[in-house]
Amino acid sequence: MAVDVKRTAVPASATRRSRGPRRPALDRLRAFALFGAPGLLVYICFVLAPIVISFGYSLTNHNPFNPPTRFVGLRNYQTLFTDAEFLTSLRVTTILTVIVVIVPNVAGLGIAVLLDRRGWLYNALRTVFFTPMVLSSVVVSIVWTRMLDDEGLVNQSLRALGVARPPGWLSDPGLALYSIAIILSWQMLGFCVVVYLAGLQGVPVELSEAAAIDGAGPVRRFRSVTWPLLAPALTINTVVLLISAFKIFDHIQVITHGGPGTGTTATIAYNVLQTGLVANRQGYASATAIVMLVIIAAAATVTLRVLNRREVNL
Amino acid sequence: MKDARLPWLRPVVALVISAFFLVPLYMILVNVFKRGEKITQSPASLPAPPTLDNITGLLTRTDDLFWASLTNSVVVTTLSIILLTILSAMLGHYLARTRGRWARVATLLLLSGLMIPPQVILMPVTQVLRAFGLMTTVQGLVLFNVGYYIPFGVFVFSGFLRGIPIELEEAAAIDGASRSRVFWRVVFPLLRPATASVLIFLGVWIWNDFIDPLVILGPSQGTTITTGIYRSIGQYQADFGTVFALMFLATLPVLIFYLFLQKHFVKGLTGGATKG
Repeated sequence: MAVDVKRTAVPASATRRSRGPRRPALDRLRAFALFGAPGLLVYICFVLAPIVISFGYSLTNHNPFNPPTRFVGLRNYQTLFTDAEFLTSLRVTTILTVIVVIVPNVAGLGIAVLLDRRGWLYNALRTVFFTPMVLSSVVVSIVWTRMLDDEGLVNQSLRALGVARPPGWLSDPGLALYSIAIILSWQMLGFCVVVYLAGLQGVPVELSEAAAIDGAGPVRRFRSVTWPLLAPALTINTVVLLISAFKIFDHIQVITHGGPGTGTTATIAYNVLQTGLVANRQGYASATAIVMLVIIAAAATVTLRVLNRREVNL
Repeated sequence: MKDARLPWLRPVVALVISAFFLVPLYMILVNVFKRGEKITQSPASLPAPPTLDNITGLLTRTDDLFWASLTNSVVVTTLSIILLTILSAMLGHYLARTRGRWARVATLLLLSGLMIPPQVILMPVTQVLRAFGLMTTVQGLVLFNVGYYIPFGVFVFSGFLRGIPIELEEAAAIDGASRSRVFWRVVFPLLRPATASVLIFLGVWIWNDFIDPLVILGPSQGTTITTGIYRSIGQYQADFGTVFALMFLATLPVLIFYLFLQKHFVKGLTGGATKG
């Protein structure tokens, strides 16, 4: 404190005044150049400009190995909505997203309620559930492939339990998508647990106790007291899960390569890179990417708006 | 609230569920210390006797798969998070303290970047990088990371800045400090919790990134640790010993990092969940 007094005793501003009148416009420009511009510039170069470039290419038949590139207007977009491959990937992505929004949300809430106690055991278990979140999706994918393989751990165990013909979790075209949804749910679960736990610990104990005195049982207390107060946690979990599930690529690339069969697990994100970087149909892939961006923006905005309105009304 | 009846029920249920949940992690741990053929035959058995062959084999490979990947991952992650922290703190501060329509538009554009999937921009990004002569270089990957993750940094920093009174900065400015001086001497030290969140989350995400290094570094120009794992399952289909050793060593640094800093992880995640 004493030092502060000494410092303010010398009017430092007096020495500055000799510089003449302030020039706000120039100052503002300098502040922008120093603080705003560097970050914005990198963002523009590597995110905004690529989106504009993508949109530009989506109006052409660009293929680096098959010139010339011609302007084709909206034809790529028209083709897209009759293209069985794209429609399948839309269906695959929707199923995956719906499961991955619901399962970790519900299971995460259950586990958070279970772990909502004090003590080293519950702290340790919270750490356990969050751990998959810090693992690389490549590692998660490989370990789960070893487990769900036709001769993997799960089927070995099922055989030991007397199941003669256990399912082909990743090799059955009708089942692989759901197996991947379970893997993703396992990885994302910890996020929901941690967010719900924080929400639960923000619920004042007095409220639950008051409700208990008024004769409310545990179920009623949860529905009428706790659940409404968890509204912000639900919003965060739902939006984060929605955005992460919709762009799933890594797991598909490592586990199934879009198969088994044709496109049974090929998500939109997987299709974009397959069409663009492997088949080199970059015009068409760009159109797919732009549609993907529009869908995810719309879905996230609507979800956020609905859940925010719900928070206000509660 | 206490669990009145059956007080043992909660811990037992919690432990049983966690045990099932832990199986995949257990798989990584035991299979690292087993011989390759045992990994496929009896994936869940304990490694008896344990062997370090997988790990030593990986560390002494002639093609340097592990050390080259590790170096790339460390360099890319470190450079990216340092640049990201500096640039997003400055940009977050600029946007939080600037009034006017343009600042609002820029903030909105940045925040919408939070939900842009990398697949949407990767193709044109390769062209931008090629134009700069940075395709298949570590610098190119770092620059892309900065651009792609800066919305998250700005989001965290500008959110945190709203809780710091502007009077502090005004007082320092009246004392004659320049804007840069005010920022680095007064504001940045106060942002420490936000800096921790940004460093931790971006560090883990960038370390684990898969598709960006796969596309940007390309097949010829080295790998990061995650793309190294991916390539090793294609190349050495039978040799799961190597794959598990690589997975184990790739995960170890992040895991240690997480176990030491888990308080920050939780705090960083739940800031928004409890504010309501």
